[in-house]
Amino acid sequence: MSEPMTMDITLTVNGRRVAATTGAHLSLLRWLREVAGVTDPKYGCGEGVCGACTVLIDGELASACLVLAAQVDGASITTAAGLCEPDGSLGALQRSFHEHHAAQCGFCTPGLLVCAHALLRDARGRLSRQEIREALHGNLCRCTGYQPIVDAIEDAQSRGVQG
Amino acid sequence: MNDEVRTSKLDELRVVHRPLARHDQAEKIAGTTRYAGDLVLPHMLHARLVRAQVPSGRILRRDVSAARELPGVVDVLLGEDIPNNEIRVDVPGQTIEVQPLRASMQVLATDRVRFHGEPIALVVADSEDVLARACSLVEVEIEELPVVSDPAAALAEGAPLVHETGNLLAEWTIDRGDVDAALAEAAVVVEGEYRTQFVDHAYLEPEAGVGWIDDDGVLTLRVATQVVEHYRDVARILGLPEAKVRVIAPYVGGGFGGKEDMTVEPYIALAVWRTRRPVRMQWTRNESLLARPKRHRMTMRYRTAAAADGSLLAQDVEILADAGAYAYLSALVLLYATVHACGPYRVPNVKIRSRAAYTNNPPASAFRGFGGMQVVLGYESQMDALARRLGMDPGEVRKRNALVRGDRLPVGQELITEVQLPQTIDAVRERAGPKPQPSGPRRVVGRAIASNFQSYGRLVWLNDSAAAWVGFQADGSLTVRCGVPDIGGGQAFSLGQIAAEVLGVELERVTVHFGDSALTPLAGTTTATRQLLMSGNAVYEAATALRANLLAAVAAATGDPVESLTLEPGAVSGPTRRVPIEEVLAICRRGNVPVEALGTFFGPKGRPVTRELAGERIFPDFTFGTHLADVEVDLDTGQVRVLRYIAAHDVGRAINPKSVEGQISGGVVQGLGQALLEELVVRDGVNLTPGLFRYLMPTAADVPDIEAVVLESGEGVGPFGARGIGEPPIGPPIAVIPLAVADAIGVQITALPVTPERVLAAIASRRG
Amino acid sequence: MFVTPFRYARARSFAEACELLRSEPAPAIPIAGGQSLLPMVNLGLVEPATVVDLGGVREARQIVAEDGYLRIGALARHADLERDELVRTRQPLLADAVRWIGSPRVRARGTVGGSIAHADPVAEIPLAMTVLGASYELRDGAQARTVGASDFHLGPFTTARAPEELVAEIRVPVLGPGWGWGFTEVSPRLGDFAIVAAAALVRVVDGRIVEARAGLSGVAGRPIRIGAVEVRVEGARAEDLEDRVGEPEGLEPIDDEVASAEYRRQLARVLLVRALRRAVERAGGSGR
Ligand SMILES: Cc1cc2nc3c(=O)[nH]c(=O)nc-3n(C[C@H](O)[C@H](O)[C@H](O)COP(=O)(O)OP(=O)(O)OC[C@H]3O[C@@H](n4cnc5c(N)ncnc54)[C@H](O)[C@@H]3O)c2cc1C
Ligand code: FES
Ligand code: FES
Repeated sequence: MSEPMTMDITLTVNGRRVAATTGAHLSLLRWLREVAGVTDPKYGCGEGVCGACTVLIDGELASACLVLAAQVDGASITTAAGLCEPDGSLGALQRSFHEHHAAQCGFCTPGLLVCAHALLRDARGRLSRQEIREALHGNLCRCTGYQPIVDAIEDAQSRGVQG
Repeated sequence: MNDEVRTSKLDELRVVHRPLARHDQAEKIAGTTRYAGDLVLPHMLHARLVRAQVPSGRILRRDVSAARELPGVVDVLLGEDIPNNEIRVDVPGQTIEVQPLRASMQVLATDRVRFHGEPIALVVADSEDVLARACSLVEVEIEELPVVSDPAAALAEGAPLVHETGNLLAEWTIDRGDVDAALAEAAVVVEGEYRTQFVDHAYLEPEAGVGWIDDDGVLTLRVATQVVEHYRDVARILGLPEAKVRVIAPYVGGGFGGKEDMTVEPYIALAVWRTRRPVRMQWTRNESLLARPKRHRMTMRYRTAAAADGSLLAQDVEILADAGAYAYLSALVLLYATVHACGPYRVPNVKIRSRAAYTNNPPASAFRGFGGMQVVLGYESQMDALARRLGMDPGEVRKRNALVRGDRLPVGQELITEVQLPQTIDAVRERAGPKPQPSGPRRVVGRAIASNFQSYGRLVWLNDSAAAWVGFQADGSLTVRCGVPDIGGGQAFSLGQIAAEVLGVELERVTVHFGDSALTPLAGTTTATRQLLMSGNAVYEAATALRANLLAAVAAATGDPVESLTLEPGAVSGPTRRVPIEEVLAICRRGNVPVEALGTFFGPKGRPVTRELAGERIFPDFTFGTHLADVEVDLDTGQVRVLRYIAAHDVGRAINPKSVEGQISGGVVQGLGQALLEELVVRDGVNLTPGLFRYLMPTAADVPDIEAVVLESGEGVGPFGARGIGEPPIGPPIAVIPLAVADAIGVQITALPVTPERVLAAIASRRG
Repeated sequence: MFVTPFRYARARSFAEACELLRSEPAPAIPIAGGQSLLPMVNLGLVEPATVVDLGGVREARQIVAEDGYLRIGALARHADLERDELVRTRQPLLADAVRWIGSPRVRARGTVGGSIAHADPVAEIPLAMTVLGASYELRDGAQARTVGASDFHLGPFTTARAPEELVAEIRVPVLGPGWGWGFTEVSPRLGDFAIVAAAALVRVVDGRIVEARAGLSGVAGRPIRIGAVEVRVEGARAEDLEDRVGEPEGLEPIDDEVASAEYRRQLARVLLVRALRRAVERAGGSGR
């Protein structure tokens, strides 16, 4: 067996610079949760299917479980917590989730928020409910039946929230 | 009216019955909630299980020496290392009644494995990184034994025994009237055989938790669970006094019954107890799908007799459930199936035989709907078959036979609350309007309705109880303490709503501490749609007692009669003056009047059941509902699209209307998953779907909006006349989908899930 | 989740990557987008000693047009093909095919080269490449060779690639004038791997097919072209397709927990017709 390896990795997580020497094998998900202490991205499958670990890497959607932290050294990472206002209060999209009861157990919520944020940010023109549903297909929720989540995104869109 | 039924006038309610946004949701949305797997403790260790790779075998040898030598490994445990290597699956929670269960399994198997994934060894290490290798270094030699993978085969003469006691795990019967005579005389008799599949709870949060030894040597577990009372089971395994084990349930990432039995608890406890250090265990999704109990697959045979006008004369039902390798709660799940087997209909003559068999499949246990769910496919398919045979409208057949208050179920229980089943049928139909047109050629659409009923609250003979404490702080804010775990349904928040309502406190000034077996009064399991009934009533009683204290104290101080006083936000108001809450509290203190109260609510009572089920009362009460679905079928590919879905339930009283709608849409979509997509495929005992790539639960794109119609009869045995709504919505989807497909293609599909492949085969069978 | 630690090395060129694959402790495995490799690592199905990151090979993400071909760097991502103006206009079949892959997260990171090298038997890109007659440039250090898609894909997760060889570039013929394309599939849910997928290219004159290429995945261990159908549909109009496609030849579908062989055969018929019909329609024939 070869010597495993540690690496210096620096990431900007929700605007905060985090530098650490860690195992080179760590997924971005484990790095965020265990090294940076950012626990809102969740482990739900480790296969890219459930979306509980959804984050933005330099603005692009990714499953944090399917990226090595080493691959994205230097990048800027946004998680759901990063969608809050600077004072820690809920951002506009998050408020819409709250008003529409879009979280029950809440385990899927951080991933879904990041997905919804990217959706509204990139939308050209008004999205129909069906388009919103299709855009969410990679993020599973077992509690809500999706309805309140779609409601929240639709409502945020109609109020001009752009992610 | 029965005095157990609590009703109230809507216009009096201030906090209850409003769609308030929950504070726990705000934290979840901000990403700050600490779930069981989010907590990191200083110097904590990590634990993982070595599991059986074969479904059935004799353990010949276990060698942990190589694993122990791997740097980083702290300990490796086998069954022999455990003081009492037995998980006794008693009915969990606040009960001591356990008769029909004889469920026991080893914590770690020592000589025999009975399913793919059964735990054999526990590895504890100082880093997660060494666990994969360490587990692979634990040598386990197993002599494979014959696999029994089908429950009918398991009960056949000469089948290999899963357990030495025999493969028949449980059996229930109901007999009422003379079924044979009714069948012989009936105008029509319809027969059918229906099959449901193994389904996984597939909550987003896999099983996880941490444990540590706290001051005074209390072994403390903070785990994702629906039942903090498992501290007793952990204590028994470790040979500790019950008071030396504490279970804390943080907000749980979904339960649905899957966190009702113990998962990580005994293993974390063992690792902590052996190493005296904090330990974390997180199951992978693969482990969760392999080894945590599933929904029972069932085969149901129905013979239904009716008169020419559609009145039901008799039901003859046989149920066979696949319980998998260990008993868990199978006997009770089967009991629920048996009691619910005839649906929400009046049937004079009934014969039901139900059995559950051991196999080498994954064990099955509690899952939202708890056996009352699978039978919906059976009884509702029969109702449609009857309507077709008689040329009657499916809604009419159902209405003609619908139970009403005062009727008795086949088991003998009398219904004590109003039944609004016909209203739910009318509600979904009115809302639906005309059937839609197909979207193109080679496509057909179909529509169906399906009704159901589902008990809420636990079996009465369990002598269920729940306790809660409500008290004022010096600043006039209110604190509620209740052992209820919050699994996402807003359980904690609704308790705050009830206390706020009764005590006239603003909701923002109520804090609910919950889910701690040491510090909050025990309230029992968050299962069986019982928490609103049990803990809700416990809080209601505590708050009501506290209210009486306060008003009496103010009355004594001001001279106003008690009846003239009202509690409102921040004060007690009376004819002479308005006393601010701070002053009220001071009056109480000076007058030796407690400003806190403990409420204990005892569920309805009943006698224990015997194999021949019969009883005045088996469950506290039932919730009724009807769903309607429009589907479109692609005749070339067999794909089914749900165009429209409407679900109506009488919830008695909606304590939080948004939570009720959320329970309905969530339950329906979970049911649609079982109807259309999900199957845990197990072949010869081997799980072929141990990942979310293959275990297919519905995405947002697979389901339409769920239009919830909430009826409020104002009657239920919960606080303010509420009925339970957590479980009832999951049942009808598994019937309404195959029935709507049948309406579209002219053939009924009787096995779930309704895959495109089954649809095409059904279409072909019609041609052939 | 429980991943045994491994080494990580980042290459700046394919040559350096080949070098690292040889020099680093074995097994040394290349990683591109990681969307197939990392699920297997997380599940413990693959245990690399070293992961060699191709992500630093910057120029390998480019897409350029050159005398009748698109040259696509192996590191181009699915989302690049989906969005790239050249791909959308010069070879829209490819842009269409990648839209069926996974979720936006998968498409944002997964690469064309990774999909080709991984060779999942129902992956969209290898099917599209097979039908398009694309060829792959494989590099090992300074050496390079070119292999046609249908010679490269040998079976499930099996290709003509040697362990240290890397897929460097893909050459795809652009869509000619008068040609139309169709791509369709059936999967259990949106974004799941296909049960069966069909791709078609047709040239249409006066509403009739004069030349056709048609292929399927999910009915053999690798994507295949259905030559006999390609011949049979010559001269056909959109409305004749159902009869002309008939029973596609050469199918060897399997039975598994996803679908039966019989269902896969049925889908093969239906989807081939749909893909061809769509292609005819786009080529200007009267499809539906
Ligand atoms: C949830 C989910 C859903 C998916 N759904 C689909 C789907 O519907 N259809 C589909 O086609 N795919 C699907 N995929 C797979 C996805 O398309 C992958 O991105 C793709 O198969 C591999 O590309 P990659 O760049 O991620 O490769 P990696 O995962 O990095 O590598 C895959 C394999 O190829 C090797 N490799 C990578 N690049 C090269 C190279 N240039 N030369 C030589 N070897 C190389 C690696 O060593 C590894 O063995 C899905 C993936 C996920 C997680
Ligand atoms: S944990 Fe990353 S997608 Fe499920
Ligand atoms: S709220 Fe529980 S999984 Fe979405």
